Amino acid sequence: MSVRELDLKQEPPCTSGLGNYLWSDPPDEKKWADCVHCGMCLESCPTYEQTGQEQHSPRGRVHLIKSVAEGKLQVNEQFMDPVFQCLDCRACTTACPADVDVGGLIEEARGQIRQAMPLTGVKGAISKFFLHDLFPHQNRLNTLGSLLRFYQKSGMQKAIRKTKLINVMPQHLVDMESIMPEVKEPVKKKYKDVKVIKATGETKQEVAMLTGCVMDVMFSDINESTINVLTRNGNDVIIPQNQTCCGALHVHAGDRDMGRKLAKQNMEAFKDFDKVIVNAAGCGCMMKEYAELFKEDPEMHAKAEEFSEKVEDISKFLHETGYEKPKVEMNTRITYHDACHLAHGQGIRQQPRDILLDIPGVDMVHMPNSDRCCGSAGIYNITNPEMANAVLESKMENVPDDVEMISMGNPGCMLQMAMGVQKYGRNQKIVHTVQLLDWAYQKEDLIREGEE
Amino acid sequence: MKAKDRVKSKDKHILNLADIVGGARSILYLKEDLVAYDCDGFTIHKHLPKAVVFPKNTQEVAEIIKYCSENNLPFLARGAGTGLSGGAIPLNGEIIISMVRMKKLISVDLENRRAVVEPGFVNLKLTNSISDKGYYYAPDPSSQYCCTIGGNVAENAGGAHCLKYGVTTNHILGLEVVMPNGDIVEIGKDGIPDAPGYDLLGLITGSEGTLGIVTKITVRVLKNPEGKQTVLAYFDRVEDGSQAVSDIISAGIVPAALEMMDKTAIEGVEAAAFPVGHPKDIEAVLLIEVDGIAAGIQEQIDQILEVCRKRNVREVRAAGSEEERARWWANRKTGFGAMGAISPDYLVQDGVIPRSRLPEVLSRINQISSESGLRIANIFHAGDGNLHPLVLFDARKPGESEKALEAGSQCLKVCADVGGTITGEHGVGIEKREEMRFVFTEEEIAAQTDIREVFNPHNLLNAGKLFPSPGRCAEVKKEMKAQAIS
Repeated sequence: MSVRELDLKQEPPCTSGLGNYLWSDPPDEKKWADCVHCGMCLESCPTYEQTGQEQHSPRGRVHLIKSVAEGKLQVNEQFMDPVFQCLDCRACTTACPADVDVGGLIEEARGQIRQAMPLTGVKGAISKFFLHDLFPHQNRLNTLGSLLRFYQKSGMQKAIRKTKLINVMPQHLVDMESIMPEVKEPVKKKYKDVKVIKATGETKQEVAMLTGCVMDVMFSDINESTINVLTRNGNDVIIPQNQTCCGALHVHAGDRDMGRKLAKQNMEAFKDFDKVIVNAAGCGCMMKEYAELFKEDPEMHAKAEEFSEKVEDISKFLHETGYEKPKVEMNTRITYHDACHLAHGQGIRQQPRDILLDIPGVDMVHMPNSDRCCGSAGIYNITNPEMANAVLESKMENVPDDVEMISMGNPGCMLQMAMGVQKYGRNQKIVHTVQLLDWAYQKEDLIREGEE
Repeated sequence: MKAKDRVKSKDKHILNLADIVGGARSILYLKEDLVAYDCDGFTIHKHLPKAVVFPKNTQEVAEIIKYCSENNLPFLARGAGTGLSGGAIPLNGEIIISMVRMKKLISVDLENRRAVVEPGFVNLKLTNSISDKGYYYAPDPSSQYCCTIGGNVAENAGGAHCLKYGVTTNHILGLEVVMPNGDIVEIGKDGIPDAPGYDLLGLITGSEGTLGIVTKITVRVLKNPEGKQTVLAYFDRVEDGSQAVSDIISAGIVPAALEMMDKTAIEGVEAAAFPVGHPKDIEAVLLIEVDGIAAGIQEQIDQILEVCRKRNVREVRAAGSEEERARWWANRKTGFGAMGAISPDYLVQDGVIPRSRLPEVLSRINQISSESGLRIANIFHAGDGNLHPLVLFDARKPGESEKALEAGSQCLKVCADVGGTITGEHGVGIEKREEMRFVFTEEEIAAQTDIREVFNPHNLLNAGKLFPSPGRCAEVKKEMKAQAIS
């Protein structure tokens, strides 16, 4: 199949392309040069597990991406399918003996596809709405948050659920609506006029915090917990107001130009700080990889590399700089899910577990295949609901029966796992690692106040 | 029928095959998908299949094969596609029958120490499924994280621990096979070992998918050894390392595994994802594992340490913890893939030599390396003399693939010349067809193709593998006969 004329909306610029990659920022040849086709990645891949098909495996995808560069294949719809079915979970990067950056290749290939075939129709409209018109605009996100709050508080949610009006939506969106957390005021807005949120005790250091787009609308309580935990452990917290969405969703979707724009804005917003604390694995991983976006711009590339050094996941930061161990018993049985972009993306596995185990009375039950993707993968569960559900089902089979909570470090996973709990008749509460720590601190404070 | 279940092809064979397997989700026929199937772990030869079908059960496999054979369509079976000799490459534009969706663990019978699996079941998953009960499946090819047991049967796969426990064929108790005419036969019913009559299990195992397609496998499972310990030894000279290997065996110790890597191999594994911190300037590292009754282990370890010291070992020590042991093995088992970190492509060879000839063979391989201008790393199942020279090359450079093939072939010639053979566990496939002449005469080869003809008379199943392209006499006649029939 050749590229349909209509798909070629954008004329390829006259750059030195690579085989049939005709646009700038093509997949990096060096990345696939390391792949010797050994197949050690196969079993790590959730989409290969579901389909058993080579083109839906990391090795197969790398092979196809390479074949386009060799001129054997075109950038067309058939090529798009395997490249966009990838969850971008990076499990293959962990499994690969030669450290092939499959995730990076996929994102670069998506960039080419999006330039060759800009999205049209309903999919295009949805994608444009989320990626261009919503996530980069904090005020619009806040408005959405207010609308959601209104929807929940006014009784509309109840009414819509009761009247079955909700059934006009596709099933996967119904599932998502049903697990929507209670929407509260975003912290970025709340602390708009607060320059520095001071440490409760003596200040050890000053850190900036990424509040995130989805995080701050849907999970502002996690942001609140993050601030509490940071200030309690001697950190002054600053929330730069000109920060924006990290761009991960855009880059996953192949919109690398928007990704670059957001990256530049964030690098500017955080330029005066030594540490940028992130509580969303996906955002942290993206910000650590900003340099990938500027391969063709040496100056920005160097800046981005420097910036990435400052970005730190909250669990790793606490683990390295030290934190107060709570003194009250939480008496709960939990399990831990490794968010892909923490475990595979940033190599952070032990730190969150250590923090959780430092909370007295937390009994941690091992989840088999805990670093297997849950199927959330940014907005993958909206764009590829069928595969996302299959992946979720296999994830839920691994959640131990006898736990009260599932802890993790990424908002996307939290929504997806909440959906899994609801869908498969389970009853676990979904929590962020810092939330549990914060609750322990709060409980401790309450008891102390009671004693005084 | 949903749009995505519809097969959009005008080819009647594609439509008919799709009907057998139940629609578009179980067949690939567009070029963009097929490219992913143009090779397996052996990447030098590539060819597009006509289609890839994904049967769910034996019945579907039989129907596909029947259809192919009635319509004169060449076909072959593929597991995870990790084979290193090209056994699953569709040289003749075959219909690939992918076995990966037949991946059930059918039953486990620990009392009789056996398990029944479908061919797409992944090797390591068997051990993982029974390890909590204290059992495991012994054959452990380095690709065991993802290779299928069906593929292991086809290639008679080995692995690091086959020194003590034997290769795949020693662990197969029964097979269900679909013959090239579509008949389903069972060999070794009920998994009773050593059945009377000819050893057909032995014939099918290792036949590289040229005699039939296996759809169900009964394997032997073993009780976990009570104790296990691993020793790591660094040698400044290959001669000392290989002499230590011989000494260990002659001391009467049967290690579970006895592995060696040379300097270039060490450079590769240390540059890759699972480095151990091996010194860069040593010529050989040995990994020696003993297992068995806990009480006897320390004594064997002491003996091994003693032997190594006698052979001028620079440093030798037993693993201090299970983590350390696991790290050493991860480093070794990912050794092939790790070559990606120091070379864009590699070709792995699979010679077997008498252990005592190792220093001589290595120096001849070194010579081949300098003559060809290509680096060659050596990873070696030293205990059973199974040598893996890894020829490093860059396929993008014109002529280098050919040079690598030639160098690989010369390595095998050296192995054959010192009284060894050309494959220990990876199979002949496409890669070593011609080299079969190093170890067999034309008549011996013809005798073997006669056997193939009994099972696979029209040579539609995985043609062009395992034996050299027809020489003079017998093969040519047979080929002509086959063509006349078709």
